[in-house]
Amino acid sequence: MSKPITTFEDFVKRIIIVVFWVALVSVVVLLPIYYLLDAEFHFPVDFIHLAINPNLIIAYQLNLLATEPFRTLFALTVFPGFTFVAVYGTIFMGWVERKLTAKIQLRTGPMYAGRLEGILQNIADFFKLAFKEIVIPNGVDTATFVAIPFALMAVAGALVALVPLSPTTYIADPSVGAVLVFAILGFTPVIVLLAGWASNSKYPFLGGLRALHQLVAYEIPLILSLVGTVVLAGSLNLMNIVQAQSGLWYLFLQPLGAIVFFIGALAELERIPFDIPEADSELVAGWQTEYTSMLFGTFQLANFSRMYILAGLFTTFFLGGWLGPAPVPPEAWFILKVTIVMIFMMLPRSIMPRLRIDMLLRAGWVKLLALSFANIFLTMVIVSLGLVH
Amino acid sequence: MADPIFIAMAVVTVGSAIFALEAKEIIYGAIGLAGSLFGVATLFFLLDAPYVAVFQISVYIGAVAVLILFTVMLVRQENWAKEVKARSLTRVAGILTGLAVVFALVFAVIATNLSQFSSITNSATFVNIGQLISTGDSPILEVLALVLAASVIGALTLSRVDREDAGR
Repeated sequence: MSKPITTFEDFVKRIIIVVFWVALVSVVVLLPIYYLLDAEFHFPVDFIHLAINPNLIIAYQLNLLATEPFRTLFALTVFPGFTFVAVYGTIFMGWVERKLTAKIQLRTGPMYAGRLEGILQNIADFFKLAFKEIVIPNGVDTATFVAIPFALMAVAGALVALVPLSPTTYIADPSVGAVLVFAILGFTPVIVLLAGWASNSKYPFLGGLRALHQLVAYEIPLILSLVGTVVLAGSLNLMNIVQAQSGLWYLFLQPLGAIVFFIGALAELERIPFDIPEADSELVAGWQTEYTSMLFGTFQLANFSRMYILAGLFTTFFLGGWLGPAPVPPEAWFILKVTIVMIFMMLPRSIMPRLRIDMLLRAGWVKLLALSFANIFLTMVIVSLGLVH
Repeated sequence: MADPIFIAMAVVTVGSAIFALEAKEIIYGAIGLAGSLFGVATLFFLLDAPYVAVFQISVYIGAVAVLILFTVMLVRQENWAKEVKARSLTRVAGILTGLAVVFALVFAVIATNLSQFSSITNSATFVNIGQLISTGDSPILEVLALVLAASVIGALTLSRVDREDAGR
């Protein structure tokens, strides 16, 4: 950066770079501050009030959480958002996966950490990863290499914001939720391909190319399998789709769509039998090979978050979301259904062999695509005959 | 609230467009292009056109950016952008052409009656869009579908010729 400025061109370039960075920093830092200050929040006055009358603190905080920017911030960072997904989706379900796979293969799995069947093992592993050194190999494109895990995490976070847990517990509720989810999922192939390229190593590059083929092949049946539910619900809003299932879950009206969506979700998550991009006997760990310590941990977090999201979408589209008998709160119904779907997503790992890449592409482009078109056609017939509203 | 976001996304759009043009590494150019297209998509969101925005993201980032990256990685060559000393006449001509295009676009925008547009009265739902596509505007859609089908068949034929002399 400390190259001397010799020509007018260099001078203009330097000025453009400075302007760009100033604009970027003001966008990233000053905009959230402006957003917070814009709220109904009178800091010194409220603080004095609470110092005089401390038993109002809890009521004050609850009131603050109900007003708009704080509701969204709390939802985004704590309950349906990041912390919940990290603790439940990654640490707890990661432990469930390890125990489940172990029990099916007649092993014991983690046993000691946390006394109760090793339930704290994943927290221990998290700390182990966090304290390791970040190794950046020679010849990698450092900026892209380091940015990739965070980009993947950002995609997962944006998707978490779109899945509603209940009519009151949600982060964002866009009118085009069903399409927006897949638009954001469409970022993943770009990121994975860049991860393979930036690593400057042959296994990640091959893994990246394989992942690109696989993700592109399975995204289309995944989207088309949902056309039937959208036609039946008459809305692209995820909340309306759940409300439309109050009579009968779409799992029973759209069994073909549900099967296609489930298989497509497995392939989209690169889980066995579709783990060709990270086939450990051929490609070490595919496009994640060169990543170490917390960068790798971020990958794990992003992968489990995506698994939680796709299970949540399956619940939303086919299992009636939060709908269930009254005494149990709707959020608990949603989490229960998501847990069951995630266990079904984990089962093939211990009972199925890996597919070959040509079998996988043929299955995606020929069979699943045909099945999803057949599902759309059947739905059209049902709707035009007037069998469903 | 909309104004700061608009300024932010305008900065991102124009900034990544400049980045895409100025990048020495062609892959960075592709990333910059994807960022610029994403910025345009967010501008559509701000204009209350979520369908356009969503399809902008899924088509341009999910398909076009992936295709460009894929192609760039397959045909990658070192030093693709050689430093070419442009002659001063060519440079002046280029700047003049750029200015002409900018002025033409600005005058075209001013000539429309966009400035008198106060608020959207009937916002389009996807049911309206579907009705328009399947009734009045269906010939356009069918012509587009035929063009796409023809290009898919053409691509298949081209790749089939390659496949035959490679053998099975």
